[in-house]
Parts: sequence; C-alpha cells; structure tokens
Amino acid sequence: EIHTNEKEVTEKEVTLHLLPGEQLLCEASTVLKYVQEDSCQHGVYGRLVCTDFKIAFLGDDESALDNDETQFKNKVVGENDITLHCVDQIYGVFDEKKKTLFGQLKKYPEKLIIHCKDLRVFQFCLRYTKEEEVKRIVSGIIHHTQAPKLLKRLFLFSYATAAQNNTVTDPKNHTIMFDTLKDWCWELERTKGNMKYKAVSVNEGYKVCERLPAYFVVPTPLPEENVQRFQGHGIPIWCWSCHNGSALLKMSALPKEQDDGILQIQKSFLDGVYKTIHRPPYEIVKTEDLSSNFLSLQEIQTAYSKFKQLFLIDNSTEFWDTDIKWFSLLESSSWLDIIRRCLKKAIEITECMEAQNMNVLLLEENASDLCCLISSLVQLMMDPHCRTRIGFQSLIQKEWVMGGHCFLDRCNHLRQNDKEEVPVFLLFLDCVWQLVHQHPPAFEFTETYLTVLSDSLYIPIFSTFFFNSPHQKDTNMHQRQLSLPLTQSKSSPKRGFFREETDHLIKNLLGKRISKLINSSDELQDNFREFYDSWHSKPTDYHGLLLPHIEGPEIKVWAQRYLRWIPEAQILGGSRVATMSKLLEMIEEVQSLQEKIDERHHSQQAPQAEAPCLLRNSARLSSLFPFALLQRHSSKPVLPTSGWKALGDEDDLAKREDEFVDLGDV
Amino acid sequence: MWWGGRGQSFNIAPQKEEPEMGSVQESRMPEPRSHQPSSCLASRCLPGEQILAWAPGVRKGLEPELSGTLICTNFRVTFQPCGWQQNEDTPLSSEYDFALVNIGRLEAVSGLSRVQLLRPGSLLKFIPEEIMIHGRDFRLLRVGFEAGGLEPQAFQVTMAIVQARAQSNPAQQYSGITLSKAGQASGSRKPPVPLMETAEDWETERKKQAARGWRVSTVNERFDVATSLPRYFWVPNRILDSEVRRAFGHFHQGRGPRLSWHHPGGSDLLRCGGFYTASDPNKEDIRAVESMLQAGHSDVVLVDTMDELPSLADVQLAHLRLRALCLPDSSVAEDKWLSALEGTRWLDYIRACLRKASDISVLVTSRVRSVILQERGDRDLNGLLSSLVQLLSAPEARTLFGFQSLVQREWVAAGHPFLTRLGGTGASEEAPVFLLFLDCVWQLLQQFPADFEFSEFFLLALHDSVRVPDTLTFLRNTPWERGKQSGQLNSYTQVYTPGYSQPPAGNSFNLQLSVWDWDLRYSNAQILQFQNPGYDPEHCPDSWLPRPQPSFMIPGPPSSVWLFSRGALTPLNQLCPWRDSPSLLAVSSRWLPRPAISSESLADQEWGLPSHWGACPLPPGLLLPGYLGPQIRFWRRCYLRGRPEVQMGLSAPTISGLQDELSHLQELLRKWTPRISPEVHSKKRDPHTILNPTEIVGILKGRAEGDLG
Repeated sequence: EIHTNEKEVTEKEVTLHLLPGEQLLCEASTVLKYVQEDSCQHGVYGRLVCTDFKIAFLGDDESALDNDETQFKNKVVGENDITLHCVDQIYGVFDEKKKTLFGQLKKYPEKLIIHCKDLRVFQFCLRYTKEEEVKRIVSGIIHHTQAPKLLKRLFLFSYATAAQNNTVTDPKNHTIMFDTLKDWCWELERTKGNMKYKAVSVNEGYKVCERLPAYFVVPTPLPEENVQRFQGHGIPIWCWSCHNGSALLKMSALPKEQDDGILQIQKSFLDGVYKTIHRPPYEIVKTEDLSSNFLSLQEIQTAYSKFKQLFLIDNSTEFWDTDIKWFSLLESSSWLDIIRRCLKKAIEITECMEAQNMNVLLLEENASDLCCLISSLVQLMMDPHCRTRIGFQSLIQKEWVMGGHCFLDRCNHLRQNDKEEVPVFLLFLDCVWQLVHQHPPAFEFTETYLTVLSDSLYIPIFSTFFFNSPHQKDTNMHQRQLSLPLTQSKSSPKRGFFREETDHLIKNLLGKRISKLINSSDELQDNFREFYDSWHSKPTDYHGLLLPHIEGPEIKVWAQRYLRWIPEAQILGGSRVATMSKLLEMIEEVQSLQEKIDERHHSQQAPQAEAPCLLRNSARLSSLFPFALLQRHSSKPVLPTSGWKALGDEDDLAKREDEFVDLGDV
Repeated sequence: MWWGGRGQSFNIAPQKEEPEMGSVQESRMPEPRSHQPSSCLASRCLPGEQILAWAPGVRKGLEPELSGTLICTNFRVTFQPCGWQQNEDTPLSSEYDFALVNIGRLEAVSGLSRVQLLRPGSLLKFIPEEIMIHGRDFRLLRVGFEAGGLEPQAFQVTMAIVQARAQSNPAQQYSGITLSKAGQASGSRKPPVPLMETAEDWETERKKQAARGWRVSTVNERFDVATSLPRYFWVPNRILDSEVRRAFGHFHQGRGPRLSWHHPGGSDLLRCGGFYTASDPNKEDIRAVESMLQAGHSDVVLVDTMDELPSLADVQLAHLRLRALCLPDSSVAEDKWLSALEGTRWLDYIRACLRKASDISVLVTSRVRSVILQERGDRDLNGLLSSLVQLLSAPEARTLFGFQSLVQREWVAAGHPFLTRLGGTGASEEAPVFLLFLDCVWQLLQQFPADFEFSEFFLLALHDSVRVPDTLTFLRNTPWERGKQSGQLNSYTQVYTPGYSQPPAGNSFNLQLSVWDWDLRYSNAQILQFQNPGYDPEHCPDSWLPRPQPSFMIPGPPSSVWLFSRGALTPLNQLCPWRDSPSLLAVSSRWLPRPAISSESLADQEWGLPSHWGACPLPPGLLLPGYLGPQIRFWRRCYLRGRPEVQMGLSAPTISGLQDELSHLQELLRKWTPRISPEVHSKKRDPHTILNPTEIVGILKGRAEGDLG
C-alpha cells in the first residue's frame, strides 16, 4: 500500500490529507470552486491549498460523500487534487478577460483557471477571498508550478525519505526492471536471442556513458572497446529477437563533426561495426533512420498542443463552438495522423522482420525518443508476452526507462525548457490504445489501465517517470542514500492505486493466459500492403502477430482519457460501463460453474465462496467511471434550470414539483 | 471461433461450415462446369421467378474465397455457394442476395485496369473476369469468373443483370412468397408484431400504454379522411368522430393531431401535419382543433419538427455523399477521412435528430403536458422524432418486440412513404429518412449497450431489409395502398380503386407477411443474433406506474402555450393560426443558429428536468443520449461493409463469446450430473456425447487457453 494513513482519510474528508513528507505551503479560504458545466456559475465554497505535492480544494460539503463514491476514490490524488506536475497552464480572469499567468503579478485575478495535463479544468473564484490570501495562494501556485525547479526539489525525494519500508513486493507480480545483467540474460533467453547476442556490463557504474543503462545487449562478436570508442554512439544495441531469428536493433547516431579527419575515423568505425553485423550468422540489415523521413519531435509537440485544446474546455459555450466543427478540428490537429504514421512505421518494420527475415536497425540521434516508441510498438505487435500486464510493464521498463527516454525533459517536470516538452510517451500509449481498442481480447490489460498509466506520469511519488536516464536516477538516489520504497513496484503504479474493487476493471477480464508463441509463417511477401492485407484477411490469432487497422475510419480518439472530464460528454447509465457489469456477472458465473465442475471431479466439497457483486447494486454509473461517479451537479442536460417562473401560478407550481419528486422515487 | 467471424453482416463464422460444404460439393457435383443449371438451382426459385442467366464463379474479397454460382433472375441477382442448399432454411439468402432495385452500381472488371461501369442499358465491352455489385445498402459482392471455355456464360450473366435492372419495377414484390415451412409461419413472430391494421391492435396498444383519456377512432376506416393515415388512430375521449373529421380537414393532407404515445407520467406526445392555412374554419372547428391539440392538458408545447433538422433533400444528399465516401475506391486520403466524413453532414444530421429527440424527451418527462410534433407532411421527421423519443423514454420500446411494434406503428401504419423515400418511384422526393432513423438507433445502442434487447445485427438486418421486395412493408407509400394490395379492403375497394385488379385469392399467406417475418431472409442462427447478449433488463424497471391524472380532460383554455424551437420555449398567444395572424410555424426558422445561451435572455424560457430526482440523476427508464461531436460515431459495420480492407469482426463481441462459454459449461454440467439445474436459462445446443470427467477438464483447459485468450 502506498500510504499508511489512508483510513483516517476516508473518515475525515474535509481536513487536508498529506502524504508522508508533504508540506503545506499556502492556503486561502472561502474560495468558490465553479461547477464547470453550469453556465449559471454556481459552485462550492471551500479552502484552496497548495502543498509541495499538490494543489487541493477542500470543499465545505465534502462530508456529503456517500459510500459508493468513496469506493472509486483514487488513493493518492483526490477528485479536487492537482499534483503540481499535472498543472499545464494557469489563467487568471481580470474583468472578464482571460490571461495566462506567469512570473510576478502586479494585479491579482478574480478568477483562477487551471488546465491540467490530464485534461481536467478547474475554475476558482477568488472574489470572496481576503486579498492577502489571494496574493499568497496565487503567487504560491504560480511559483510552485511554473518556476524552473531543481531536480533535488522534486517531491519524489521528500516522499522517499519520509515513506520508507512500506514496499511489499509480490514475487509473482514481478515486473522485470532490466537493472541487472541477469534480467537481460533472461530476456535474451526468452526470445532465443542468446545465440547471436550477449549482455555486456561494460557500462557498469556508468563508466562509459551516462546515457546508457548499466547493462545492455550487443551482437556477440562486437568488441567491448568499440562501445567505449564514441561513448556508446554508433553501437548497435539489441532490443528484441523474433522467433525466426531476426532482431530489432537500435543505434544512436555518431556526433556530427565538421572535421574531415574525424569524419573519416567515424566512417571507418561504422564500417567496422556494420561489417560485424552484416556477415552471417546475422541476417541482412535494414536501417531505418528515424531522424529523417519520419516524424519530428516538433511535429508531435505542435499536434498535441492543438489536439488537447479540443478537450480543455472552460465553459459550455466554448464547447459548443468547437463542437460544430469537431471532425475538421480533429483532423487539422493531425494527432490521429501522427498515430497512424507511427503504427504504419511499426507495421513496416514488422513486415521486414516477420516476412523478409531481416534485421532492422533503428537509427536516431540519441535513440531515446522515436526509437523507444517504434521498437516498443513492434514488440507489442509481434510478441504476445508484451501484451500481458507484466510483459507490458517490463517492455516499458526495458525500452523507455532503461532505454534512456528523457521523461524529465519530455514531461517538463522541472519547467526548465518548454521546448523540450514533447509527449512521446503519451503518443506511444495512444498507439497502444488503438491496438487495445481494435483487439481487446489480445491484451491482458484494458484501456483503463492505459489511462491510469498516463495519469501516473504526473504523480511524483513514482520514480519511474521522473528521470532522464537510469544514470541520473541512480546517482541522485544514491547520493541521498535512500532505500527507495518504490524501486520494485515503481512501474506498476496500478498496484494499490485504486481500491481492490476497481482492480477488476483494470485487469482485462478477458485476456487470460497468453502463452502460445507466434506461428511461423512460410510465406514471403515483398511489400507492406500485401503483408497488411493478407494479415487482415485472415482470422486473427490473438496469441500471435497482431496488426492494427490504420485506415482513416479506424484511428480513433481515446475517448476515455480525453473526454472523461467533460460533463457534457457523460452518458448517464451508458457507455462501456453498462456492459462491464454484465460482463463481470457472466465471468463470475463461468468461474463458479468451472469450480463446480472441478469440485465434482475431485468429489470435494469446498466451501462455496460467494463471488462479490461489484457494480450490480451501485447507482447508475456514467461514462466517467471509474475516474469519478456522476458529476453531481449536472442535473440539467440541455439548458440550465433554476426557477419555474412564468409557468403558471405558485400553487400550481408547488403541486407539480411534488409530482416530480414522486416520479423520481418510483 | 466465434469472434473471428468475418461474415459481411453477421458474426457467424463461415469457416466452420465451409470445409464440409466444399467436400459435399466435390462429391456431389463432379462436373461443376456443366452448362445446365442443376435442378436444385431451379427448385430454389421463388414462384414466378425465372433464371435469366447463370455462371459459375468465385466469391472474392473475403477469405476464404467461396466457389458457387452467380444467378440472375427476373427478381434478383444471387450468388449461391456450392452446397449451400444443404443448410438452407430460408427462401432468400441474406448474405448474397441482391434485389434488382438494390443494385446501386455494377462494374465489370477485366485484368488489372479495365473497369467498366454498367448502367441499365449499357453494353458490355469485354469478357469480364470479375463483376462487382455494389448494393445501395452498402454491401458489396465480388464474383470472379472461371476461365476455360466459360467466358460466354460470364458475359451472358453480366448482360442479363444489366438488362434485368433496366426492366425491373421497384414497386414490384416477389410474388407468391411463402414461408419455407408453412406450419411454422409465425415462428419468428412470437408474439406476433401487431401490424396495427385492426381496431383490436390499437385498443390493445392503448391499454398497454394506459392512455385512459383516449379512444380508438374509426373515422378513417374507409380511408376517406386521409389515405395516408391508418384506418384507426387515437383521439381524445371527449371528441366525437364528426368533430375529428371536421378538425382533420384543416390540416395538411388531412393529417390532424393524433396520440403517438402516452407517457406513464401523464404527458401525451401527439403528432400532426401542418395547419392548412388556406382553410377557413368556423368557431366550432377551431374549438375542436384546439381541444384535440390540448388533449386535456393545461400546458401545451408545439414542437416545430422541421426546425433545426435537415430537409428531405439534405438527407438525400448526405446519404449519397456517405455512399460515395464508403465506396471501396473512394479517393479520400486517409488523413483527410475525418473532414470528408464531416463533409457528408450525415453525422451532423444524426446529431441534430438526437439532440432534438433528447430535448423533447425532457419536455415530455419534466411536467405533465401535451407535446405536439408538427411537421408539414407529418410523414417523415415526425415519425423519426416520435420513435426516438419513445426509445429514450420507454423501456418497453427498447425490447425487440417493442421496437418492431414501434416501427410498425410510427412508420408503417403512420404512412411514411417508404417507396418514394427509398427511391422506388424515381421521384425527386427520395430521402432515406428511415435509414437516418436506424443510424440514430444505432448510436443509442452504442451509448447504452445494456438498455436495448436487440443487437446491432438486428439493426443491420432491418437496414438491409428495406431493399428486399419480399413483403409489402417497405414497398408501399400508405396504409391504404398496402391494404389494397393485400386484399384486405374488399368491401371498400369499389369506392377507392376503380379498375384495380384484386390479387388472386387463396394467397392468404401473403396477407400476413411483413418485414418482421425474419425467417424469410435469415436463418435461425442469424435470428438468434438479433438478441443483444448485453441486455440487462434490471436497468429497465417497469416501475413507471401510471399515475392518477386529476387534471385530465378539464375543459377550458390552456394556461400556457409554448412553441419549442431552436432549443428554447417561446410563448404563443394561440394554438391555431387562423384567428388573427399566421402561426409562428408558418415562418421557417430552420437552420438558424441557436441563440447564444446567456442567462438573461433565457430567464423566462427556462425548461428542463427539475434538479431533484432523488438519488438517481434521471428518472428511471429515461436515457439522455450524448450528441457531441466525439460521441456521434460512424456506423462502420454497416457503411464500410463494401471495403475489402476494412473487414468485420474487428472488435470481439466479448459478451456473446462469454455467453457461449457459459451455455457450453452449463450444458456440460447438465449432461454430466443431471441433478444440478443450471442457474441461468441456457440456449439449446446440439447435443454432444456425454463426456467423462477427464475429457471435460481437458475441454475446459483447451477453451480457457484457446477461446478466451
């Protein structure tokens, strides 16, 4: 369990609940939190606080939570909590005008609008708050979320110091961390890559290079001193081996030099390296240069910032304005097209490996952005192990965390350089979502898992996504000589993230054992289209090669992640949740029948355990589930309701209103 | 495997049966190239059907390819896979049957580059290697012809199709169709869907809705009030038939106000045509009209149905664009797909319909009142909205039976001009309003998967049935024409159809057949898939108890009269336009933007659900659909069926898979230890031999690893 004082929390909602090591920085009282969807602008009064971990709003009527609601509470981040890293933009409203807030303020706004990276939008009215408090809270929030920060100031470290010794690792649920030589050897063995590739420890203690992990895998004949030559640049590093022996490799480009002499040296070095991997037993190598002819990070950044604006809605009117042109706006953001291009590239590489039996060498400047993305996607499509939850977490650990993806910079956790902020990992998750959405039975996890994973990017109690490289993490953690509570379970933030009940929803109820290996295909096809068409014209083997559809109509918006906070987009009593309860019921039934059959078989009378029925008796859920229950204030679906004036005389009105109550109670 | 299904419409895996078929075929027909259609082909013809030409061919585009015969008759083009008659239990094949009127585009292909578009009357310029039939229902049939001496046959069959299309008459019904097994005629109609052709049907339905202030009027029994109206309809108790007759005369085409649905909370949903502005009613008439509209309520809301909804021409244009977009060779680049889709405006129209229906549902639910849907013709959008409102508000309408009754009542009996709207008469008034409605229902099904008893496959089947001329349901424009044809009106025909020849007597089966006789077109396995396995009736309590209506039928003027238009209520001075000035309805307000929502301007026009429905956010049974851009989805399974690269069976219907598993387990358990009674009623499966325990465990393991995966 992640935090210890959880019981107290549920009992006393109104008091601020602090995580171990968390400190209150500033607060303001009588803040009005608008209920966003309502253009009448009524809201809830409460206290707005800022700690070194989060911004939290403590509503006065918070005690009115019913039991159902607490069941779906996130253990770390409450409904009205925003972790500091989750804050995207802060706006102030001065005389009905909305302005971005940053730096030192001369004037303080009457309204504060916070856009979050998980696409929530909060609006706080400060009109009834004391001026001093307004100053303190606004400048506090702006400083702690917008000002550049030092790595050492991350809440992660204070949390790690304070919350020790509460890690329990379940050996069965073990995500491979790839921080030991053994893990790499195991992976080599699993993929049968150990004939041609070897795990090396030449970078132990980060002697050679701080970019690379301490252990990694290279082609067996490659001399270790080659690795040292250009600090790991220009070295083909093994990612994964296919059942037919072909492998996926990645290489970071050599530094660009002007000097002819050095260029000459680089050239002969590369020639040597290529010679090693071009001769048998290695397959023919195809080089994919991801730095040119493919996406640029700039493109991804621009697309996402356009795309997310479609979902960051300040008020209903704004929503309706964009709604009319929804599809063309969506298209013009080209986020979906970027997803398509990533999937397409991954299919192309899959085709090379699967059908043409070639090795593919991914080339990128640092081999830590698109390399991670493409190589993970290829493995997801080709290796059913990666489609289990543990396998997927191991994959992220291998390709992204150990692969040196700069989470710190790409998420802009330290607010040091906005230009570096590129949602590459989010793009990856969105690509995975497309696969999960198209082939749900092939995955052990659901879209809810992916959404939760994407949220955990901004929760600084998991160390996984808060460093630029394993070296950075190790050095920072070691200097402070911490026993890290999260090292074992860190990339599985799902454990204990929700209460047990909702865990069902995160595990894919249908993805059972995925054990079969890919059937080898004899057909050799020479181009992408043929490969793609032929795969799609055959029945899908969920345990084998899995390709996504990439035609126009097939790439979709990850509605759960992007639409969940928009009240207008709620479907009361509908959407997937509605089928989920039925599904759970049937799975329970299947299980109990299977038990019965087993029981008869062993002629044992084991005590019958009643399967828990989770959703059956709960109130009507909406498509927000499990991230929140209904937005309680949205009683009005179409237009705002308040009085019933101009509709008959008062008596009549009262009578009718009574009728409505009765109708509701029926 | 169940969820690998790649049938065009259904989730029934063809792979299972086909190997058997193939082997049967080989043993039975060693000479597949015989030039005489085998006798079994001829025996499969419908009465009056003549085979014009046929050729052996291979169904292409889907794996695995199927060999069979392409047949062109004077009714239809059909592809019969070899050995198909073995499993045949329907007179029409749903998968490969194309009624001549359904053929939207015909292409002959030779080699890689020669493609000829064949219009009725075209001359084929080469020997086709392949023929592509694009259905107007978005289906696609690709048949490749065999080479080696059979080219003339390929040529013949293609030309025969071209000619038969030119000669086909869209209003023509397959004559003499009977159910294959006469004894089980109504097998698929249990309980039979009321066709709303008798007074009893109307009375039963009225009682079911507990509409106590209403009665069945027989004033139109001879279709002399309006031919487009059903023979019976519901009018307020207090209104005499003579008053009804007089009042209806002042409405467009005689379509006066009638009850569509009585809300259990007390409200009434009415529909009527536009006021006939040229008429000059006297005081009595105006009073009759007003009290019919008022229906005893003091609060009356007139809904201008056409406001904010597309015109018929809009619908037609959007549908044409949609079809062009969904053609396999549509030239839209993948990254431009979304704006192209937006450009068709089809989804926009769906969204407008859902929004309006949702608004009206709120109006009907929020207080006891009379809500009148008024459309000039009262035969298109009124039916659409009234059906949608009932689907949103009444759980009964969301059952399979309820939905069929609803369509029968609000579309067929209410006189939606199916033949004209579906392009049968070639008139300019073609507009697939009904298909727009089906898409709206599909959207609801997507949004509320546990609230509907029927499945997407049912909607697809209905979608495809509108172009199969096997029953009269969609082949006529009015109840009068339909009745005339089926010979019901013997005693009245001398008045209305001079010179019309009576259909041959003894054809009594024909009378009863309607589109709801699914076993005409679909096999039992397919009909089973009409059920939504995710339907959870617990969500739909029948707890909308009829409530006493103290204020019902109080004479006197209504205390408030509103016009609902562009999302807002505007007070009206009077219900009828004749007294002083023309009604507001005469002014067309369509497609004006909604006024910006500012709290001030709406101060006296607010409406909506009261904020206190107790613990539930909505009254039980009411669904409010999402109609935002991202929530309106594209019906892939219907519209993209013709695109070979976008195949079916993408997202696994997990619930039906589980259900299968469940019934399998229950069956096993039952067989093994007969004393244990299954908890849940399980579907009948083919009996297996009794297995011993080890085998069962083996099967379970195998299934767990293989099937569920």
